[in-house]
Amino acid sequence: MRTFLTLITIFLMVPLFSQPSGKEILNLIDKNLSAKTQIMTVKMVISGARGSRTIEFKSWAEGEEKAFTEYTNPAREKGTKMLKLEDKLWIFSPSTDRIIQITGQMLRQSVMGSDLSYEDMMEDPGLSSHYNASVTGSDTLQNRKCWILQLNAVNKGEAYEVRKLWVDQERSIPLKEELFGKSGKLLKRTQLYNITRIQGRWYPMKVVYKDMLKTGDGTQFIIESIKLDEIIPATIFSKASLK
Amino acid sequence: MIKFLIKGLLRDSHRSRLPLIVVALGVMLTVLLTTWINGVLGDSINMNAKLSTGHVKVITKAYRESMDQIPVDLSLTGTQEILSELRRDYPSVSWVERIEFGGLLDLPDSAGETKSQGPFAGLAVNFFDSRSGEAERLNLNKILIEGQLPRGPGEILVSHTFAKKLGISLLDKVTFIGSTMFGGMTISNYTVSGTISYGISALDRGSVIMDISDARKALDMEDACNEILGFNDIDYYDDAKATELMTSFNNNHQADNNEFAPVMIRLRDQNDLGGMIDLMDGVVGIISFVFILVLSVVLWNAGLVGGLRRYGEVGLRLAMGEEKGHVYRSMIAESLFIGISGSIIGSAAGLALSYLLQQKGLDLSGAMQNATMLMPGVFRTRITTEAYYIGFIPGILATLIGTMLSGIGIYRRQTARLFKELQLQ
Amino acid sequence: MLAFKLAFKNLMGAGLRTWLNVFVLSLALFMIVFQSGVIEGWNRQAKRDMINWEVGGGEYWHELYDPYDPLSLNDGHGNLPAEIGQLCRDGQAVPVLVTQASVYPEGRMRNILMKGIDPSQNIIQMPTADLKVDSAVINALIGTRMAKATRLGMGDLVTIRWRDANGTFDAAEIRIAGIFHTNVPEIDNNQVWVSLDNLQKMTGIGDQVTYIILKQGLISVPTVPGWIHKGYDSLFMEIDTIIKAKGVGGIVVYIILLSLALLAVFDTQVLTIFRRQKEIGTYVALGMTRWQVVWLFTVEGAMHSILSVIAAAVWGTPILYMVAKKGFGMPKGIEGYGLTIAEKIFPAYAAGTIITMTLIILITTTIVSFIPSRKIAGMKPTEALRGKIQ
Repeated sequence: MRTFLTLITIFLMVPLFSQPSGKEILNLIDKNLSAKTQIMTVKMVISGARGSRTIEFKSWAEGEEKAFTEYTNPAREKGTKMLKLEDKLWIFSPSTDRIIQITGQMLRQSVMGSDLSYEDMMEDPGLSSHYNASVTGSDTLQNRKCWILQLNAVNKGEAYEVRKLWVDQERSIPLKEELFGKSGKLLKRTQLYNITRIQGRWYPMKVVYKDMLKTGDGTQFIIESIKLDEIIPATIFSKASLK
Repeated sequence: MIKFLIKGLLRDSHRSRLPLIVVALGVMLTVLLTTWINGVLGDSINMNAKLSTGHVKVITKAYRESMDQIPVDLSLTGTQEILSELRRDYPSVSWVERIEFGGLLDLPDSAGETKSQGPFAGLAVNFFDSRSGEAERLNLNKILIEGQLPRGPGEILVSHTFAKKLGISLLDKVTFIGSTMFGGMTISNYTVSGTISYGISALDRGSVIMDISDARKALDMEDACNEILGFNDIDYYDDAKATELMTSFNNNHQADNNEFAPVMIRLRDQNDLGGMIDLMDGVVGIISFVFILVLSVVLWNAGLVGGLRRYGEVGLRLAMGEEKGHVYRSMIAESLFIGISGSIIGSAAGLALSYLLQQKGLDLSGAMQNATMLMPGVFRTRITTEAYYIGFIPGILATLIGTMLSGIGIYRRQTARLFKELQLQ
Repeated sequence: MLAFKLAFKNLMGAGLRTWLNVFVLSLALFMIVFQSGVIEGWNRQAKRDMINWEVGGGEYWHELYDPYDPLSLNDGHGNLPAEIGQLCRDGQAVPVLVTQASVYPEGRMRNILMKGIDPSQNIIQMPTADLKVDSAVINALIGTRMAKATRLGMGDLVTIRWRDANGTFDAAEIRIAGIFHTNVPEIDNNQVWVSLDNLQKMTGIGDQVTYIILKQGLISVPTVPGWIHKGYDSLFMEIDTIIKAKGVGGIVVYIILLSLALLAVFDTQVLTIFRRQKEIGTYVALGMTRWQVVWLFTVEGAMHSILSVIAAAVWGTPILYMVAKKGFGMPKGIEGYGLTIAEKIFPAYAAGTIITMTLIILITTTIVSFIPSRKIAGMKPTEALRGKIQ
């Protein structure tokens, strides 16, 4: 009887040995996506009740905690800049010459009418350092074989306690991510398309972000150009550069 | 004959003065009370109209569904076209555009960084075009606590409590952060030119009033607004007319099934005002009825006095062979004359007083803790069409009935006893 | 005493006219009592509703809590202080936790307040027992105003999203387990009520609460550092201001109505004196001084007011009583926004008002009766006796 159980256990464990661990996959993803710095120009397509709008911006990011965004189009938004340093977010609007910190209720508002809220913008942790991952299965997405990864937050205070990732088995890049509330309700969904080779990494050139609680088609981010690991002057990530 | 009677009335001041004064006084009070009730209750309704509901309001169908959240993204577009259609089809109504919106107001410190911040409800109206009449409509001069009304672009009014809470002083530069009609972010600077108090704490907690041109710029609403308000020329809500207007407009736009198609609603469809209108109609009706009743009693008395005072005269006339019917009729004719002239005098006096109170208002704010826009403390009468004739009903009717009743005595008198009665004279 | 007896007899003798005057006066009295009763009824009812539904016997607020500043909710809560904790265990108080949340009826986000309260409380009338129903999802209570605004009905499920004390997002379906109808908008507009345990678990906030409602009639309340006691004075300030303002507009109606009634008395008085000159002459001839006669006639006029009070009591009381039983529909406009106004006001007739108004009517009637009677003093008794018009 004991032998039988042992056999069963070994039998069940076989597939686990044949796949990388969740931790390994996360590391691979981070390696792929978390360039030291990123500079990109992005087109954001927001669909709403009155049709869709396109907003263009350029963004500079370093690590997880520093990001700077400058809107370039349309004329109305041109010159608006956002700076994120750790858990603080400032906005500069050229017409008012004011720097405003976004706090309180404002954080719950959507960014430029997209499905992304300021809160969502604030939240961007490197996955491997904040989450424990386990592989829960496999699936096929966009004709690519994927691992399904379940991520559970290591510490309290992460915006999303549970995430589910569909990771391309070959290229180690997520093709879909779902964010869940603490009690398991699906809140946000991100789908990544046009995976392209950039400076030796695989990178999604189109991302569709959707707030699952709202009606609508979600917001598309189309990366027009991207440069990784360029040195960004430290002055960019300071309030002085907002003005 | 009439000439003769009038001459008599004019010469014998006893015969005409007291009844005339009583009729005139009673009629005056009736007129005054009617205009007063219409004024005070109507004012309350009209304040609602002016501040938020209009007599009628044009909005989009989608906006109507979630009006309590004042969603700017469901606003009307192409408002110039809608406005010109409204002005063409309903020229007697004043049409004004309004934008109600929400956002954050941010006060910077000397370094330009956020010192304090708070959410507010904004109202954008057409200030700068004085033809719109919006500043008067909102009673802005009255509710202004400090400073002055905006004189040019970029100036706003902030509710006093809100300003105090954020630490805003006059002429401070403040920043508005909010969402445009398309959901984009908008940030703009304004100068606080004055502070206001509505006297309703729900509004005073956080309100901003600005010119619609500023709001359009900020909210990316060129040729758009979320509400077009219609006010009729009598400045007094007329339910029947509003209903007629609504039906006509909505029939014209029936085919348009787009969720952004314009649709008209009435004052009574908003803020639970239907109940207040029904009550007002009821109360005006009841009070007018009671007054007519009361006044009839008073004037009947006056008629009796008149009849009794002339007991001797009537006796003499009968003794001299005048027919009872003739005496009776001539007395009724006289009373008719008194009723008409008393009603004319009373109505004129009542209307004059009402007019004075309509223009100047009766300031009872001393009796109230704080006078405000919605409870202005200054009460006004309102002269409606009915005020012109309502006094005549009790004025003439009551005098006539009074005389008729008191005159019955004439028929009871017996010629045989007349001389005995007259001996006393 | 003779004057009173005589006056009464004379009035009765005058018949219909007396009764009409009395009716007019009583009508004025009735209207005044009615109107002030409605306003006083509103005042009492609003306060009673607020006590029953919202404020109980007063509240304790966390010192950082400001109901009109949503930002204050982040920090405006703390552990239940021991003194009050004991009151809560004894059923003398109930704590409430307030947090921000968003609901998504029909896929449109709406920022609201989520409030947690003990389902077995009996401090306020909210049917919190509905929250106890066994259910796989979180039970919630909303008011009728909120139900109308969100178009949610009994048993409906709706998504609610919130962040816990650490900032982690969470969302869940909540089931509308009860819709309560209250005249107090402050506990209805834009709010969702759940059980305190659930909310504390949902937000991971431990045993913290935002404010505490005390039981009605709790006489002595302890001072608790970090918590501010809110008595009726501050909780009722707004309603007191508005009630006062409402009363003022009515005064003018009283004055006009009363003037009309007094006009009727005056008019009658003139008529009476004119008619009864012979009688006046007789009185003087029999040895009364002229001022005694003036007094007699003044009393007779003033007697109208006494009769009118009786008449008002006879025909008015049943009506007033009926309205007080059945209620009076009260409309609301924007002035009513956020204010407690019952749909039906049950007038409350204050004894003070009735007595004051009765006295005012008595005095004014006496004055207008006296003015025409004064003429008697100038009459020549001999002429009067002959009935000659003077």
